[in-house]
Amino acid sequence: MKCSGLREGSDLNAEMSRHLCVWLFRHPPLHGHHQCHTRRFSYQCTQTHLDTSLLVFRRNRNRILHHLLNKNWSRRYCHQDTSMLWKHKALQKYMEDLNKEYQTLDQCLQHISVNQGDQRSLNRRHAELAPLVTIYQEIQEAEQTIEELESMCKSLNKQDEKQLQELALEERQTIAQKINMLYSELFQSLVPKEKYDKNDVILEVTSGRTTGGDICQQFTREIFDMYQNYSSYKHWKFELLNYTPADYGGLHHAAARISGDSVYKHLKYEGGIHRVQRIPEVGLSSRMQRIHTGTMSVIVLPQPDEVDVKVDPKDLRIDTFRAKGAGGQHVNTTDSAVRLVHVPTGLIVECQQERSQLKNKEIALRVLRARLYQQTIEKDRCQQQSARKLQVGTRAQSERIRTYNFTQDRVTDHRIAYEVRDIKEFLCGEKCLDQLIQRLLQSADEEAIIEFLDENLKSAK
Amino acid sequence: MEFWGRMLQAFLSGLGRRGGTRGWAFSSWRPHRPLPGLLNATELVSHWTAIFEKRGIPEAQASSEYIVAHVLGAKTFQSLRPVLWTQPLTPWQLQCIQELSSCRLQRMPVQYILGEWDFQGLSLKMAPPVFIPRPETEGLVEWVLEEVAQRPHAVGAQGGPLILEVGCGSGAISLSLLSQLPQSRVIAVDKGEDAICLTRENAQRLQLQDRIRIVPLDVTSEGSWAHLLPWGPMDLVVSNPPYVFHQDMEQLAPEILSYEDPAALDGGEEGMDIITHILALAPRLLKDSGSIFLEVDPRHPELVGGWLQSRPDLSLDLVAVRKDFCGRSRFLHIQRSGPQRGCPADAWPGPQAARVPG
Repeated sequence: MKCSGLREGSDLNAEMSRHLCVWLFRHPPLHGHHQCHTRRFSYQCTQTHLDTSLLVFRRNRNRILHHLLNKNWSRRYCHQDTSMLWKHKALQKYMEDLNKEYQTLDQCLQHISVNQGDQRSLNRRHAELAPLVTIYQEIQEAEQTIEELESMCKSLNKQDEKQLQELALEERQTIAQKINMLYSELFQSLVPKEKYDKNDVILEVTSGRTTGGDICQQFTREIFDMYQNYSSYKHWKFELLNYTPADYGGLHHAAARISGDSVYKHLKYEGGIHRVQRIPEVGLSSRMQRIHTGTMSVIVLPQPDEVDVKVDPKDLRIDTFRAKGAGGQHVNTTDSAVRLVHVPTGLIVECQQERSQLKNKEIALRVLRARLYQQTIEKDRCQQQSARKLQVGTRAQSERIRTYNFTQDRVTDHRIAYEVRDIKEFLCGEKCLDQLIQRLLQSADEEAIIEFLDENLKSAK
Repeated sequence: MEFWGRMLQAFLSGLGRRGGTRGWAFSSWRPHRPLPGLLNATELVSHWTAIFEKRGIPEAQASSEYIVAHVLGAKTFQSLRPVLWTQPLTPWQLQCIQELSSCRLQRMPVQYILGEWDFQGLSLKMAPPVFIPRPETEGLVEWVLEEVAQRPHAVGAQGGPLILEVGCGSGAISLSLLSQLPQSRVIAVDKGEDAICLTRENAQRLQLQDRIRIVPLDVTSEGSWAHLLPWGPMDLVVSNPPYVFHQDMEQLAPEILSYEDPAALDGGEEGMDIITHILALAPRLLKDSGSIFLEVDPRHPELVGGWLQSRPDLSLDLVAVRKDFCGRSRFLHIQRSGPQRGCPADAWPGPQAARVPG
């Protein structure tokens, strides 16, 4: 890549290009050598400094994160954000540590003295660290290159070297881009993977029961439509499971199954209370221009695979709506509605989407399974994260997450202090919503990394 | 004054200009339009529900929902696109709903009114007087599917089981078995010409006609079983035979009594007439350890058990009874326990096939 760039610059004189080529080709081995030295030097010092610096970092975590996020949403440069977090010392130290561990393992494995059992576990750890360390080293090399390019630029001040300088700057930019890519790659491999990200979901919306009943129901419909549009924007399949409308085109409750590529990953942070502030379209408040506040709730349940949740048929009570009379040939019924009661948990699911009772039962069972799955997940989460409260990740689905202020034409996500203008565009469920969801995912990743480093520090003590 | 006069004149003349077409449009649909002001689906459902309730029509709300949904192109009101709930209906749609609802007022079953119904996820054409499949029977099919899945040894030479259905009606049981058992083949028999035609039509609609033989046959007539011999020994016999006790017939709802073929329901004094005929002919057609699955009345498991004990010559055992979703003993699994007297299984199908005319 580097050399082809040079060839393209046709008007460069031969001396210049030779100069740069020699520099570029000589660089990598030199650079590697240099790195080894620093590592050996700093080995003892870093170990002692690590704990204290992480501690300081942890204490300031929230402030730092807040600072980062505030910058994030005003600038909206994805890679910039990542590298900012990356620059933080705690993470740097963590990576240096891993790197050291990897080098030590490397040496250990080359000696034959290690016994068989140990060797296997060492090998496993070695393989685990290898990709991380590779990225880390690549980043360091690239940063080194940039530094040297910069110092070279400083020395090239004369007029006749201007073209060379331009070329070097160009090169610098390419490397900077590569670094950004490496950062996000590293970031992705560091973030703890969420178990359910790839699952399909069942999304339920329920209108709030505050005084502004009408605006709640209207708002519920708008939000449900928004997710339906978002599903088609994302090329997901949207199947209606249940729809209970309210008067005047509003919506009491609805549920849908959304399936496709990583649906849960994208929708998991949509669960919670959504608040609306608007002047009603009809009635006294409309004439008096009085602003009403209403709410609706969104529940996002990851849809389990059959293997994830086993439902014992003995635990089910199936209510069909024809329990009386002789049945069979004696009766002709069209009522195919099914109500499923899961006796141990008391969960109730109803379905009357299909004309076949059997099909309704299948759908109801699918919904029930998703609800049971959700319960296990929440139990898991409680155990994992005990009393910790993060900005995004662990919010219970009962907390207020977002406000749609129609009078100010603004949507605010309270978790990351993110604001969007143009509610109408946002409710279309396309780019605007997608951007917010991407921001939430990113913030959650950052939180997860900090959490992860934090845990790491605790266990090291 | 002059201004208002001019306004009025302009208004009137404007109306006059369009009056012709509008007048024509009104005259074409107004006489059929039942309810001025009732224009959307939700309102129509509650309107017809109220009328049905007042006239004592059973399942008033379900009936009106199915009719409205059907006219709007959906199977159930719940699955109708929510936009359509509140959208105004066209005059044509209103007229359709009006006509279908008046059939319901005559106690016609909803399945006949819509001309189709679902069974095991299949949409089947329904037409009077062919028996309308009941939801319980889905349980019979489920049981057969379970048994087939558990016994791969009971599989015919061509890979899948060969199944005989007695009294196929609309074809519900046969066609759902065929659609879920891709290797299977079915012989479906019924004595009613309407049933034969409907099963054939449904098989074609579902593109299952290649694996089904539809034979007009009355199992109660002497020696009828011989006509089935050429098709080879069966792995399974399935039937939802007429099993209503004769004295219960007059208590059936008008929907059933006035529209469905009584021959598909009336099982004679103890509801056993057709059941015993099936049990008597099955051993001649079944393979060794072949099975019979029957839907019956909750009083029948005991009666059938007793009857089988009185006929040891049939070598049939009642091996299991299963309940329907309402908890009533509804389904029987009867198995052939020994080789059929004078009709060894390995003699099939050559010599006997030759004996059958046609």
